[in-house]
Amino acid sequence: MTELTSNRSSSLLRHLFVRFGFLLAFFAFFVFFAAWNPVFLQGGNLLNIVEGSAILLIVALGMTLIVATGGIDLSVGIALDFGAAFAIVAMKSYGADWITAAALGVSGGSIVGIVNAILVVGLRISPFMATLGTFFIGSSVQRIFTNGGGPISHRRMPDEFRNLAMGDIGGVPVEVIVAAVLCVIYFLVLERSIHGRRIHAMGMQRLASIVAGIRVNRVLIASYIVAAMTCAIGGLIAAASIRMFTPLSGFSYLLDAIAAVFIGAALHPRGRPNVLGTIAGVLFLGMVVNGLNLMGLNFNVKDALSGIILVSALALAVAQRKMR
Amino acid sequence: MSNRLLHLDQVTKSFPGVLALDKASLDIRSGEVHGLVGENGAGKSTIIKVLAGVYVPDGGRLTIGGRVIDPITPESVHAAGVRFIHQELHLVPHFTVTESVFMGQEVRGRFGLDTGGMRRRAEAFLRDVLAVSIPGNRLIRDLGTAERKLVQIARALIDEAAKVVVFDEPTAPLASEECATLMHAIARLKDRGISILYVSHYLNEITDICDRVTVFRNGRSVSVFDDIEDSTGQDLIAAMVGRELEDLYPENRRTPQASLLELENYSGTGFRNVSFRLRAGEILGIAGLIGSGREELIDTIYGLRRSTSGTLRLRSRQLRMRAPKDAIDAGIVLVPRDRRHDGLVLPMTVSENVTLATLDAISRFGLENRRRARQQTEEQISALDIRPSDPEKVVRLLSGGNQQKVVLGRWLLKNADVYLLDEPTVGVDVGARSEIYALVDRLAKDGSGVIVSSSDPGELIGICDRIAVMMRGEIVSVLDASDLSLDHLISVTTGAEPTEAAHG
Repeated sequence: MTELTSNRSSSLLRHLFVRFGFLLAFFAFFVFFAAWNPVFLQGGNLLNIVEGSAILLIVALGMTLIVATGGIDLSVGIALDFGAAFAIVAMKSYGADWITAAALGVSGGSIVGIVNAILVVGLRISPFMATLGTFFIGSSVQRIFTNGGGPISHRRMPDEFRNLAMGDIGGVPVEVIVAAVLCVIYFLVLERSIHGRRIHAMGMQRLASIVAGIRVNRVLIASYIVAAMTCAIGGLIAAASIRMFTPLSGFSYLLDAIAAVFIGAALHPRGRPNVLGTIAGVLFLGMVVNGLNLMGLNFNVKDALSGIILVSALALAVAQRKMR
Repeated sequence: MSNRLLHLDQVTKSFPGVLALDKASLDIRSGEVHGLVGENGAGKSTIIKVLAGVYVPDGGRLTIGGRVIDPITPESVHAAGVRFIHQELHLVPHFTVTESVFMGQEVRGRFGLDTGGMRRRAEAFLRDVLAVSIPGNRLIRDLGTAERKLVQIARALIDEAAKVVVFDEPTAPLASEECATLMHAIARLKDRGISILYVSHYLNEITDICDRVTVFRNGRSVSVFDDIEDSTGQDLIAAMVGRELEDLYPENRRTPQASLLELENYSGTGFRNVSFRLRAGEILGIAGLIGSGREELIDTIYGLRRSTSGTLRLRSRQLRMRAPKDAIDAGIVLVPRDRRHDGLVLPMTVSENVTLATLDAISRFGLENRRRARQQTEEQISALDIRPSDPEKVVRLLSGGNQQKVVLGRWLLKNADVYLLDEPTVGVDVGARSEIYALVDRLAKDGSGVIVSSSDPGELIGICDRIAVMMRGEIVSVLDASDLSLDHLISVTTGAEPTEAAHG
């Protein structure tokens, strides 16, 4: 009979792990960093975490949308780069005002989404392979355009554009406001609208969704384009903050965005990719980077540690998914 | 009982909120075919999973060959000689027959794997034990469903150590003539002294091949038929539902009205020159073996495949379906044969599934009106008696019958003109089955047209007005169901009887 009891308590543990594993990890890291360096807990630092996470959050929203359709987008960084490049070039070479530049940046990003949509819907290539292809093509295009990858800087950009990254409204950084607005829109569309229901349904069971009358191709095309445009908005902020376009810089957000989405899905009671979870995932990753910084570790050690934590978080998310 | 081989004694298993098994017992004698029947949710699959070591029981005992098995784990049960033929095939399509049979139990030769030896053993086993000849180098994906099932059996039994083989719904994916092959194989296993536990919804199979039958109801083993020869399917049904089931099928008194759906020389992949007319208030059956073009015809009408020629008219308006959405907008809806893949989004809730096709009706500025969604779902739950009645229950956890009701509920919200029902009661328990028949009857009486495609001839005769029989892609006969005998329908369907030219 001990066999039975131990079995039952282990299944309870398992349940708790599946449900609350990440919250525990989140909490443990939080306490650990706070204990190590009291600065961590100060209001200014917490705001730093949020501000430093804004671009990743925006990219992760786009990723959430694509993962919800049952795919994955490896070209989010390219869309981000295109957003930055189009905006910077429009201002520098064509003297565009900030609003035109921003609109062009977002349209430039949408090209990436259109290419993905053509590959995934038109040619029926799996999202992984299709967006990987877009990633390579987009990287080459950037190298060709910049003669091998040199940055395009634009020091005298309009203040309004600069303010996307440096300004604040009532003390809240503009990039945080932009990210928050996008979060609200994404939340309403993905979690509260009938369109979101269709996206989730087709992501979970495509054939059943077709039989239920969902035009899945249209949903997919729209999703890839909207996700790319979202990432391009992240690109605008990146361009504004360093006043230049650095080719291939978007790549660094890819793994973090995927991790944030999967952490978010693991936090959801039914394991779905979701906006609130993604926000939590992004903040978790931002907290880890910030906390490691405050520990004053050697740069290389810090990088290795954050990589290990990221991969562990992904592994934990995948393990949870399997245990459901 | 001296020749008792396997005994599950007073097994209890509860899940949060549900007592799935309540001191249920099952005993199997050596060399017998033992049937296990019960409605969905009666505890059949739970006790199978306990026996397989998947679920840990809260109480009770398993004895095999006089030895108590404790703990019950997949390994200990396997060592005691129990083998499982699960409902799902779990075969890799790109593997050969030999590779599939020996998957995970490969035999080593002097130089790596003994491929030749394994192939000879696999072929010999299939030939000698299961009485089929399937070349060992055939790929699984090139085999028919029945052959795959036999490969699956060979895989479980190739080590020749089996004492008890559990068949869980083995004929569910099979056409009736394929079932015969399987029944034959099971008889051969019995001749070799192997005991069989046979779980099935098909009572005719149970009465045909079983020696004894245990009936489960509400988690208990309510009765054991020691001599099934003296019992009929009706006796089993009575024990399963706990009441005399007067009749599964509703009274057929419908008056078909104006023509609703007309097909003329309609052709597509898998069928050609199909012509018929479905009238409002009519239930038209489509009979045919697997491969007769029945499935393709239904899918094409619904827009899942493209038609190649011919016309489809709904209320005299010619339509061309490019996607299911076109069919739905026109008023044609489908309850697909494979509800777990095509009918339902399994990880979603009852409410999310019921409202999936009518989202516009619960939309306010594009946002979902959750109160409306819940209210509409609750209406369908009570109208169809879906259990459990919780709109937030994930549909994967529902029984087959209740899942099917969820699919039906979705289309009831749509108020369609034409209902296409493809194998509407496969994997549905007897109680829910008669409810579904009553519902279909009511739909027709309310003026819809219904097409029922089914491999169950009794079902077609029981609920349809007319039955179109398909063979090799064409309608070979349209029969009036009112005084059609089962034998006649089966003989037309299987081609045992020559047919006159089709007419619609």
